[in-house]
Amino acid sequence: MAKGVRMENIWKIFMPKVIALKNINVDIRPGEFFVILGPSGSGKTTLLRIIAGLEIPTRGRVVIGDQVVVDADKGVFVEPRDRNIGMVFQNWALYPHMTAYDNIAFPLRIKKLPREEIDKRVREVAEALGIAELLDRKPAHMSGGQQQRVAVARALVKQPDVLLLDEPFSNLDARIRVTAREFVKEIQKKLGITTILVTHDQADAFAVGDRVMVLRNGEMQQLGVPEELYGEPANVFIANFIGDPPMNIYKLSIDHPMVKQLGVLEEINEDYKEVYIGIRPDEAVALPLNEEGHLTGTVTIVEYVGSRRYAKLDLGNSISMRTLLECRADHGDKVRIRVYKLHIFAPDGKRIRTLTLVH
Amino acid sequence: MKKLFKYRRTGLIGSPYKILVLNIVAWVIGVLWITPFIGIFMTSIKPFREVVLHGWWTISPFTFTLKNYVDALFNPMFSLSRGILNSFIIAIPSTVIPVTVAALTAYGFARFSLPIKKYLFATILFLMAVPQQMTIIPIFFLSKNLSLLNTYLGLILVHSSWGIPWITFFLRNYFSLLPVELEEAARVDGATDFQVFRKVVLPLAIPGIISASVLQFAWVWNDFFFALMLIFDPDKMVVTQMLPRLKGQYQVDWGLLSSGSVIAMLAPLLVYAFFNKYYMSGFRGWAMKR
Amino acid sequence: MTQLKITPKRISFFIPALILILVFVVYPIIATIILSFNINPIPGVNIVERSPGFENYIKIATDKRFINPKGIETHSFPMGAIIHNVIWIAIHLPLTLIVGILFAVYLQYVRGGSIIRSFIFLGMVIPMIVGGLLILFSFDKDLGVVNLLLKLFGLGFLARTWTIYPDTALFSLILGSVWLWSGFSVTMYSAGLSSLPREVIEAAIVDGADFKTILFKVIIPMLKPVTLTVVAMTILWDLKIFDVVYAATQGGPGGASMVLALLMYEYFARLGDYAMSATVATVLTIIIIPVVIFWIRSVIRGEREV
Repeated sequence: MAKGVRMENIWKIFMPKVIALKNINVDIRPGEFFVILGPSGSGKTTLLRIIAGLEIPTRGRVVIGDQVVVDADKGVFVEPRDRNIGMVFQNWALYPHMTAYDNIAFPLRIKKLPREEIDKRVREVAEALGIAELLDRKPAHMSGGQQQRVAVARALVKQPDVLLLDEPFSNLDARIRVTAREFVKEIQKKLGITTILVTHDQADAFAVGDRVMVLRNGEMQQLGVPEELYGEPANVFIANFIGDPPMNIYKLSIDHPMVKQLGVLEEINEDYKEVYIGIRPDEAVALPLNEEGHLTGTVTIVEYVGSRRYAKLDLGNSISMRTLLECRADHGDKVRIRVYKLHIFAPDGKRIRTLTLVH
Repeated sequence: MKKLFKYRRTGLIGSPYKILVLNIVAWVIGVLWITPFIGIFMTSIKPFREVVLHGWWTISPFTFTLKNYVDALFNPMFSLSRGILNSFIIAIPSTVIPVTVAALTAYGFARFSLPIKKYLFATILFLMAVPQQMTIIPIFFLSKNLSLLNTYLGLILVHSSWGIPWITFFLRNYFSLLPVELEEAARVDGATDFQVFRKVVLPLAIPGIISASVLQFAWVWNDFFFALMLIFDPDKMVVTQMLPRLKGQYQVDWGLLSSGSVIAMLAPLLVYAFFNKYYMSGFRGWAMKR
Repeated sequence: MTQLKITPKRISFFIPALILILVFVVYPIIATIILSFNINPIPGVNIVERSPGFENYIKIATDKRFINPKGIETHSFPMGAIIHNVIWIAIHLPLTLIVGILFAVYLQYVRGGSIIRSFIFLGMVIPMIVGGLLILFSFDKDLGVVNLLLKLFGLGFLARTWTIYPDTALFSLILGSVWLWSGFSVTMYSAGLSSLPREVIEAAIVDGADFKTILFKVIIPMLKPVTLTVVAMTILWDLKIFDVVYAATQGGPGGASMVLALLMYEYFARLGDYAMSATVATVLTIIIIPVVIFWIRSVIRGEREV
């Protein structure tokens, strides 16, 4: 039942001159939970709409299973209704004049399924999503979380080959969001349905995605499992975009003292005048001065994030750094900084390598 | 074919050929729709003899003439040039007065708490829908007793009063969408209600005021019934009122009538063309109540 | 939103409007009602022929120009002004709704659709007197577009000046009024359409609905508030119709296109019977009231939602 989705050389140019997507190539595996992550204006929603058939690519083709659903060069286009996809829109797009039941039944009624069959399937999916008692209500009388479940039910009821989710969590408040993510992920695993989710929120992406693709200005930046994106960011943009609190990134000339202190030089083969050095706040700690470490700095701010403490440190030369704080220290105290992991990027932003420092 | 494919919208409408056909059909209908306008205009710039003999649609013979316009504008009985002037004399004050008066009321409606506001509001809506016929007889005799019958002032007062309900309604909606913080700031700075209205609300509401004015002007210009009932003197008649009198008793003189029609609809058409944005938002506000 | 307390000074915001409306709108309405019962509230109007009471209403009910049983029986015109108004609504209202929604949806997909929309809107811009003359012109035997089209389709033998025959005069005016008034419904529906959330329609596309299903199951139900407005305004317009008839047929031939508003004018101007004239006006208003109430309630409901 689950089908893969293959995108080949997808370009989308909005007249007169906005390039929304630049040569996207992806192969999404059957049953995979695939996430497209990117800031607003990155083209992620356009890509999803192309898969749905709501938008036509300027170039390239999309294959669902083994059916070519659109091929811009050959003029092939399969209508959205013939693609057997389910889609959940950002604002859920429930039909306001219909009850939840009618909303969910809508795709089946269009297929002209027999009454009992429709009823059975609507109740089944409503049961599975825990909205059985909402079926008589209209969207205006439901909470955001409930509306979202109805929208998911409507997308799933026709047993689609592919499920598309366009920012499904962005209209939910923080608390419900966590449950909603778990719920979507659970359903997806239970049904084994190929799912493509678009989001600008990395927490969403990492919570649900088997693999995550990062888009920026219509270009693919990196594609991989969450650990890869976090642990081995492909370029400065990804390094900066992913991780919270964000990575400390410095553009330093090769003879900068910090470069020497961290022992970066030995690791670079080519002749760069400058490099980017990135240190995640979670991969460096501030320790008492008597401990061993790579750098020293002065505490300027101590902040609490959840159960963890971070220190903002002044390293001199107007360089500041955020690290974990694992000693008693306050504003103005000097500390030793021990770095566990170091990300090195070339001047053009591409990753050179990730170093694990040992002591 | 390929190009069409790329420009098509997805989902709702089928193949590129169908879209092409739908476009052509739409334009044919669109042109047919305004054919009466084209016809009346063509008739007005041709000698009526030629129209009778060959029809207004012929390119040859085609003799261009402005005689029909001259005849209509300087008609010895009902001179449309006089009618146009009278229409302006009536329509301009009949726009300024009710917009000014209604703006005050609308502001009151939008901002002041009134115990009977709900009923007043419903009354205003009712007055917007009442037929002119329901008021005209008493107005006729009232005007007569006040010596306002057959005067510009009488008709202006009637039009002004008649315009107040809908303009109040329209501007009330407009005012209640304005950010109240600015008014509050002005109040904190010590402005009186009227100063707040004059210095803060009115400048912010200029687009709404223009919309209301444009629509009221067109409405008064286009009105026929009130003028018909209240003005008798051919020298004071407005242009819409003169027009049917050019028709002729037994034979319709389309030469005269066509040029007259063009003259009479020119002002509202120009207002519509030049103030399109305001006209349409006023129009939607008039009907949609948003 | 916070509302400011009303004070005597603040009441002055309402005074000018109140005076004008009381003198030129509210008082005349009440006086017209009183006049329709033969009581003379207005100095200078003399009514002596009939005693106070419902006499005028009885008289109007038996007036052939108001309602003509013989015409109704034989299905021939004239049938009386009130019947003509009803026929007007019965034909005009459905056509307006259909034209409005179809064009609004259709023109979304047409290149230059907004230009065509403004063509259609022209009927709303011009004076209705000119509108009436344009209808007269369009149905003219030799010059009119209607007959031109008939000839084009080989139906030239049907060509005639439609407005001067009793059996076609009213229908010509009604069709003409569809042409004039469609700008209203097309504009209303277009505005309504553009405010519909795009995603809902897209969701229906993804769900597999075809064009017809989307139109009838999604778009039209969601446009219900617009439809209510258009229905109310169109009925009101049809009942109050005057200028168009006055310019095109004067209610003729032989009363075949007489309508209520024109009948009121006839009583006033031609017959000088002010009380009867006031009676027709009152009847017209009474017919309008249910529509107005329906409309006021929908507006107030809309207010509450905003």
